[in-house]
Parts: sequence; structure tokens; C-alpha cells
Amino acid sequence: MDESFHELEAELKSLQPRAPSAHLMRGIADELPSAPATAPRARLRYTTSTNLRSWKWLGWRAAGLAAAAAVIATAGLMTLKRIKAPVAGALVTQVVANNPPPSETSSLRDDYQPVAATNVLYDLKDEGLVKTGDNSDARRVRYRYLDTYTWKSPKNNASLKWSVPRDEIRLVSATLN
Amino acid sequence: MEAAHANDTWQHWFEAYGPKLLFCARQWTRSLADAEDIVQEAFVRYWRHQRQLPGDPQALIITSIRRAAIDHARRETRRSVREEKADGGLEERDSIFVPQPGDDAERRGEIEAALQQLPLEQREVLVLKIWNELTFEQIAETLAIPPNTAASRYRYALTALRKALKPVCHG
Repeated sequence: MDESFHELEAELKSLQPRAPSAHLMRGIADELPSAPATAPRARLRYTTSTNLRSWKWLGWRAAGLAAAAAVIATAGLMTLKRIKAPVAGALVTQVVANNPPPSETSSLRDDYQPVAATNVLYDLKDEGLVKTGDNSDARRVRYRYLDTYTWKSPKNNASLKWSVPRDEIRLVSATLN
Repeated sequence: MEAAHANDTWQHWFEAYGPKLLFCARQWTRSLADAEDIVQEAFVRYWRHQRQLPGDPQALIITSIRRAAIDHARRETRRSVREEKADGGLEERDSIFVPQPGDDAERRGEIEAALQQLPLEQREVLVLKIWNELTFEQIAETLAIPPNTAASRYRYALTALRKALKPVCHG
């Protein structure tokens, strides 16, 4: 820009526009009574991490738990199929008692092997500044994932897939020190 | 715009940026009351529905204000024509700037008058650049014009202002 304009620009910038009226502030307050009191901020861009606390590692750890849950659920289904046999209720109870789930679970665990676990980050939201335990400032960032785990049976090539949404909240230090 | 992030409520944010938004809206409306209505409409819409959009919040709200002003102007066209016939087309003349301690009230008034004389296309660029501190790229996006055009209009506006104010500056 032309340097000869600097003086004029500085003079213009020194003029302060009038403040909004109390009526305007009241009008906005009336319309935003329950809105979260957080200042607008630019949205964070996608970031990822390579350290051991990264979501990638959390995902694999969670995969073990998910696998166990899936096996137990499958065992339950198999058991239900068995008790559908045309027998009296008392006999059903006996059948169940004679075939305890652990052996079935063990069998299924041998059949299905975990083959894949994926994490898809589908939303990232900066929820603003918070105070941590040591009274320092941190930004609370919510990551929203869809975790998907897959198991496969080498015997018959059947596969089992389980997807679950997961929220992860990270506190990122807001200071440079 | 980073300074806004230090504030933690919409009230604090609006106290800091409300005057600039209102001044901006005033360029596109016939009265201060209309400008306040439009700022309220745009700000509430932004706060409720658009806060998570990427980008500079101030630029987003200004874009929203401009669209609301255009819509409002369309709605009010017939009424405005009637008012122009009735009152000779005079716009409401309210003070734009706040008096500062030690400033020259006469000079401030002359600047306000000179601003009013600028063509709208130049004045809106000047207001967005000087008082809302947007870049030419952001101004271009807001007004849907090329950045070079925004820069040219800004230069024309300053030239016109300097010409209008020159006798006072050196007189």
C-alpha cells in the first residue's frame, strides 16, 4: 500500500466505532439464554500422534476387550440355540447346567482370531480452555472415533465385525513452557 | 482475532467485537436500528449453528451480517421507497464514532461526513479493512469480489478521503 496513506490510515484507526446499545445486548441475551458460554474459536485441524498413548495403541488395547465381549456374546447365542430343543423347561435347565458357557467360550475363542482393528476419526472439536489439577491452562479437545474390530475363523472363513463409536477427550497444554 | 480467544463468554467477545460488527452492518443498512437488528440476527445464528465452522469467526459473522442486510434490504425496499418520498430520502444521521478524550470533534465529524460521501463499494472495503482488520483475501471472500478489486477499492477510498480532508489537514 502507498506509504503516503499511512498517516490517514492511522488517523482512521484511532477512531472507535460506537458500542452496541444495551437493547441489542439484551436482545442477544434473550435469544442465547442456554447457549454454552464459550467464545468462538477457529476449529482445530486434524492432528495425530505417534507416541504410545496415541489412539492407535488405545485401539489395539481395546480390541482385546472387544474380542472377549464378542466371544461371550456369540457363546450366548450358541447356548440359546441349544435350549431351543423341544424339551420341557426343567430339562432345558438341566441342559444348560450340563453345558456351562466356559467350555463353549473356550471353543469359540479358538475358532475366531482377531484380524483387524481400525479407528476412523470422524469429528474433532475444541471445547475451550480448562484448568488442570496444577492450575495451569489447557485446551480440552474431543476426538470422536468409530472403532471397528474384525475376527475371522480359519476353519470356515466366517468373519465377525464389531463397530462402536468412541469419544476421547485430551487435555493439551495451552502454555509454551 | 486471536485476542477473542482469551475471552470466555459471548458477552465478553461481543463487547470486544460488537462495535466493529455494528459499524460494519451500518454500511449496509439505512438506520442504526436496522443495523442492530441485523447484527443480533447474524450473531445469534452464528453462535447457535456456525461456531464449529473452520475459519476466522469475525469474517464468518461479517459474511452472515452482509447476507442478512441484503435480505433485509429486499424486504424493506417498498417501505424505503415510501419513506424516501415522504422525507426526501434522508438517511438517519447517527454518530458513527465514540468521542475520545482530547480528540477534535470537528475533525471527527468531517471524517464521518467524508465517509458518508464515499460510494458504498469503497466504503464497505474501507470499513472491513480499517475497523474490522480483515485481509484483502477475507474482504474479497466476504464481498464476493477478487482480492485485487478489494485492494483497488481500498486505495480509491483512501484517495477520496484524503482529497476530502486535505484542506482541513493542512489548512
